[in-house]
Formats: sequence, C-alpha cells, structure tokens
Amino acid sequence: MDKLVDLYLNNAATRQKWEAFLASLDIHNFSDRELDQINHTFGLVDEEGKLVGTGSVAGNVLKYVGVCNKGVTSGARFNKIVTALQQYIFNEKIFHSFVFTKAKYSESFQHLNFRELAKTDQAAFLESGTPDVDNYLADLPKVNDQKDLKIGAIVMNANPFTLGHRHLVELASEENDLVYVFVVKEDASLFTTDERMELVRAGLADLANVKVVSGGDYMVSKATFPAYFLKSPEDLIDVQTAIDARVFKNVIAPSLNITRRYLGKEPLSMTTHYYNVSLAHELSPDIEVITIPRKEVNGDVITATEIRQKIKAGDLAGMKELVPATTLEFIEKNLASLQARIEKGMNINGN
Amino acid sequence: MEIKTTGVAGTLESSDIQIMVSKGNNGIEIDLDSEVKKAYGDEIEKVITDTLTKYGLTDCKVKATDKGALDCVIKARTLAAAQRATETSEKPDLEVL
Repeated sequence: MDKLVDLYLNNAATRQKWEAFLASLDIHNFSDRELDQINHTFGLVDEEGKLVGTGSVAGNVLKYVGVCNKGVTSGARFNKIVTALQQYIFNEKIFHSFVFTKAKYSESFQHLNFRELAKTDQAAFLESGTPDVDNYLADLPKVNDQKDLKIGAIVMNANPFTLGHRHLVELASEENDLVYVFVVKEDASLFTTDERMELVRAGLADLANVKVVSGGDYMVSKATFPAYFLKSPEDLIDVQTAIDARVFKNVIAPSLNITRRYLGKEPLSMTTHYYNVSLAHELSPDIEVITIPRKEVNGDVITATEIRQKIKAGDLAGMKELVPATTLEFIEKNLASLQARIEKGMNINGN
Repeated sequence: MEIKTTGVAGTLESSDIQIMVSKGNNGIEIDLDSEVKKAYGDEIEKVITDTLTKYGLTDCKVKATDKGALDCVIKARTLAAAQRATETSEKPDLEVL
C-alpha cells in the first residue's frame, strides 16, 4: 500500500526529491513566485519508500499535482492525492477549490467532479465544491426581460476608483440598457477589496442602469494564475489572458446576456495594451469589444497609479480633478492609514 | 434541523463516495457524479435523500462524487456530512442508519 506523507519543502533533501519527481513528469518551473504561495504539500510513497505522487495547496488552489501510474490501477494514486488535498482545505473551512493544469489532465480532474470552466490547447481551469459558478451567477442582480436588453460589461480593479473609470462606465451606460461593472476580488492592492468595491459603488450610485458586482473568483488575474506547468514562462500572459477571456465568454456572459465588453485604451503600459489586444482577439466575435480612449485632464490621461503616487506624497489638492468626490473624501479620511500601508511595502506602481 | 456550515465526508477513492452538504432553499438538491449514474443514479440519490430526510433536513444542496460505494457507505457518508453541516457531530443520532 502507498503511504500518504507530509512533505516539508524547506528541507533541502525533500525539496530535491520532490523536484526530481515532478521533473520526471515534465514540470520544471520551481520559481519562488509559485512556491511561496504553497501552504502544504503531500507526498505518496510506495512500499520501497519511493515518491510516487504529490500535490500541494495554495489557498484554494491545488498545485503541483503529479502521480506515477507505473504498475498500479490508473487513477488510484491521483484520487488519493486529490482526496488528501481536499481534506486539508476542508479542515481550513475552504469548500470551493480551483485547479489550473495542463489541458491533457483536465479529464482526470473532471472524473473527480471538477468542472471545466475554460480550456486552451495548453491549459485548463477547473473548479470543485461549493459555492460554484452557478451559485455565483444566480446571486448576481438581474432585471426583468434581461434576454431582450443590450447589456455591456466592464472589469476593473479600481485601485482606487477615478474619474477615468467613471468616464468609461458613463459611456457604456449611455450605449446600453444595462451595464455590469465587475470589480476584481483579489486582495492584492493598496485599497482593500471592500474599499475598492465601496468606492466604485459610491462613485456610480447615480447611474440607475449600472450594477456594481464582485468579480468573484472568475476574473482570472495575473497574480493568481500559476505558470509552473506551462512550457515556458513567456506563455504566462497569453495563456492567462485566454483562460480569463474564455471564462467570461463561455460562462459569465451567456448567463447574463452580456454582448459587449468595454476596455480603457492603454497609452502608457505596454503590458496592458498587449493584454487588451489579445483579450479583444479572444472575445470576438461572440462579444463585441469596445475600446474607449482614456479621459484626459489638462492633456494627461488619468491613471490610478498616479493617484496612489499622490497619496504617497500626501498631495490631496493634486487629485481633486482626477477622482470623484466620494473617492477624495475616503482618501482624506484615511490618508494616514493608506500611507502606512505604502510604508509597510505595499507595491503602488503596478496596474 | 438547520445547516450552519458546509459539511463534507468521504473520499474520492474506489468504493467510496464523497458527500458535500451545504445550505439551500429549494428542497434537497443533489448534484451526483458517478460512473454508474445511468444504472444506479436514482438509487444513490434516493439513499442520500432518505438519509437526509430522516436526519431532519429538508432544504440543502448536496454534491456527491461516487466511486462505486455500496448503500451502507453512502448512508454513513451522508450522515457524517449532515452532522458536520449542522454542527451536531458531538451528539450523533445513529438511529438514522
């Protein structure tokens, strides 16, 4: 019988064995970016003490799952490892989990009641447990006769909400019967998820046909997307964008009758510009992608990055023309605490 | 009986079934995944429904991943998941079995 063991990767010998095993399964990326997020790793050892399976948990994401099926019933070791990983997260009161994996392993996970949310020729994204994407969609606000309406969508991090964001939503609000604003849920920004959500709500409260909702776990961000199973790290942005776009196109949009997605034109960051282009490529023709030029004040485009720099510098007057009164008021009230977060090392230069 | 949290019991290994019970308000809704669903799906769902009903649960969502479990295993796993979901594991009502 195989034995389930805990693997402690900070032990150099264990780490070496683990990496060698995964390398034999064609997984070669063991960068800190991937490993730092891991909470726990299990191993499966056979009667001779050889490592024959492994899997790790990072928050609610299963990672580095690999088994050797030589000489055993196919699937048995895989099921054992996934059970162990699930039991671990259940103990943490996490009942909803995700896996990003090579496309060819999608089926193995589907045998264990994982549901495929998106797939490319390289990668697949699946979820398991509850509440799932159907529950997420059922809980979103809807209106009568939604099927017959023209509905647009915007996804934003809004860190924090500016008049640039507002401009984009205003245009969408004029051109559509209903607009969903999805606020990215991932808590990795200067402004917390709740704060970002609250400021978007407050800044759009007067637009009756706009619904501000959380993106849940279904707006796949660069930060959460693992790269370890990809052929090369350079594929990360392409694959992540494709997966993100396909979840939106195949799962989110049809259920809400969304037919248009609005993007802010990106004149400053090459990465974002590239992301916009490939997003448009993935979404069309099912979803019409509309790119809006950024709002300018005194000849400069408004960016949330600039607002964060002004927060760092304490330049409240300088942001008056760039953010709505609701955002400004929040920053005024919480300036000291925001500056303290920056002091503590929160990165404010990203997107 | 009131569901307080999500409760899970069972594994994904051969001859077992994993049952996840969580809040619902539409009767007992079962999402069953099984290799033998065509032949035994109705029977498996009936065992789960009967066990939950006997335990006093009328509204809940159930996710079941079956790997060829016998009825007695399905009952035991369902009961354990229900106890965990209602936080009554301390005073188990084994009469239900």
